[in-house]
Amino acid sequence: MDLEFIVEEFPGIWEGVPVTIGLFAWSLFYGTLGGLLLALLRLSRLRGLRAVSAGITWVGRGIPPLIILFIAFFVFPEIGITLERFPTGVLGLALWAAVYQGEVIRAGIMGVDPGQWEASEALGMSGRHYMRRIIIPQGLRIMIPPYFGNAMTLLKLTSIASIVTITEITLLAQRVISFKFVSLEPLLTIAFIYLALNTVLQFAQLGFERAFRLRV
Amino acid sequence: MSLVKVEGLHKSFEDNHVLRGVGFTVEKGEVLAIIGPSGSGKTTMLRCLNLLERPDQGRIEVEGKVLCEPGPDGKSRFAPRNDIRRAREEMGMVFQRFNLFPHMTALQNIIEAPISVKGVGKDSARSRARELLEAVGLAHKEDAYPMQLSGGQQQRIAIARALAMEPKLMLFDEVTSAVDPELAGEILLVMKRLAKAGMTMLVVTHEMGFAADVADRVIFIDHGVIQEEGPAREVLSKPQQPRTQAFLKAVLERAPMADDEASAAALTTSDELVEGLLIGHDVRHDEKEGD
Repeated sequence: MDLEFIVEEFPGIWEGVPVTIGLFAWSLFYGTLGGLLLALLRLSRLRGLRAVSAGITWVGRGIPPLIILFIAFFVFPEIGITLERFPTGVLGLALWAAVYQGEVIRAGIMGVDPGQWEASEALGMSGRHYMRRIIIPQGLRIMIPPYFGNAMTLLKLTSIASIVTITEITLLAQRVISFKFVSLEPLLTIAFIYLALNTVLQFAQLGFERAFRLRV
Repeated sequence: MSLVKVEGLHKSFEDNHVLRGVGFTVEKGEVLAIIGPSGSGKTTMLRCLNLLERPDQGRIEVEGKVLCEPGPDGKSRFAPRNDIRRAREEMGMVFQRFNLFPHMTALQNIIEAPISVKGVGKDSARSRARELLEAVGLAHKEDAYPMQLSGGQQQRIAIARALAMEPKLMLFDEVTSAVDPELAGEILLVMKRLAKAGMTMLVVTHEMGFAADVADRVIFIDHGVIQEEGPAREVLSKPQQPRTQAFLKAVLERAPMADDEASAAALTTSDELVEGLLIGHDVRHDEKEGD
């Protein structure tokens, strides 16, 4: 391993960090919104809505994320959805995130003690009100660990955007590999970057868990 | 006019026919105790009243408003969702397992529904909640979270939470069953005071002393049917039905209650059966010590 080489080539790869973070943050944001929608549809009173959500989740979880990304790039334009490269990458990754976070959100809501729903109903609260005030605040506590688990997977998954030539860190590392004929150093460099970013997420998770801990 | 009128209530869970045609009425100001063995349907009956459980058949009327009645096809037809919500405001419910909101303080638990459902102002909701906390002896606990409180304290907060909605009727579902025996008294005391204040109460309970002391009337329910009904002291001291007699004996003497002769035999304490429980245990201490 050539440390000097890493120092030399690092700035070139470093330029991709904002792109990686951007891909991650935007797809987590839209993925969470989409996941919330999927979860609420899945818990709906109407069978049709439940079926739509279950179907999307079934397909989304059943095919590789890379294929979802390809669908966003090559199938969506055929049906009239044409976006720039970066937003298209966000769209593909957000779809992946939505089906997974949708299940996390649904599990969190269903994990709340049924007695909480009953107490809310017995007090005459409307469903909309007790979802917001009673159920979701308690469900969040259950959702935190699996939500961050998916978020960390999503961060690593941004590397597949290199295949559709979004210039995030994996693509920049691959360029170094093919131009300089070395592979270990650039790969270790981006491994370190992914690890550092995921460490931030891990601390964020701990912070959220602490904030939502029930007082005993 | 009766405050509550129930007729021909049926409810099944899968193949389990829990309620088989239950009917009763409750007058204003009356305290009605509902007793019966485990699995008899008493809790289901109570939960049907505010439609936490939806009856398959029958008619429920609260304050003259029909919440559930048989439709033309014989199946239950329910009042619109908003009417059910309004009826629930009139019926406070206290659960076996308290069901306080664990992410809110005692005070927040109490004011949540009055503010959001009845539109009471924050300040008046708070001062009313403090009065209620004082009435249940927990004025000093308004900032405590449920998990910081004992079972008895949590249940008294739950009673205060239900009362904050100013209900016309209170439903109690085995409210002392999940607390330590020495803490049941503080809950029962609050309920006793409430009865004295004239609240209409339906109390599903195993506390026969409380039923005898506080209830005006007792319903004994078994196998989903009301087996016996009458003034509390009469039913509890001179039960007419053999099932009621067996049940009261079982509760008061902690004697086992058997469904049939075969299980009655298994519940005796014959030496043979006692030894059967100890198979694999070495109970011959004296012989060992002799070695």
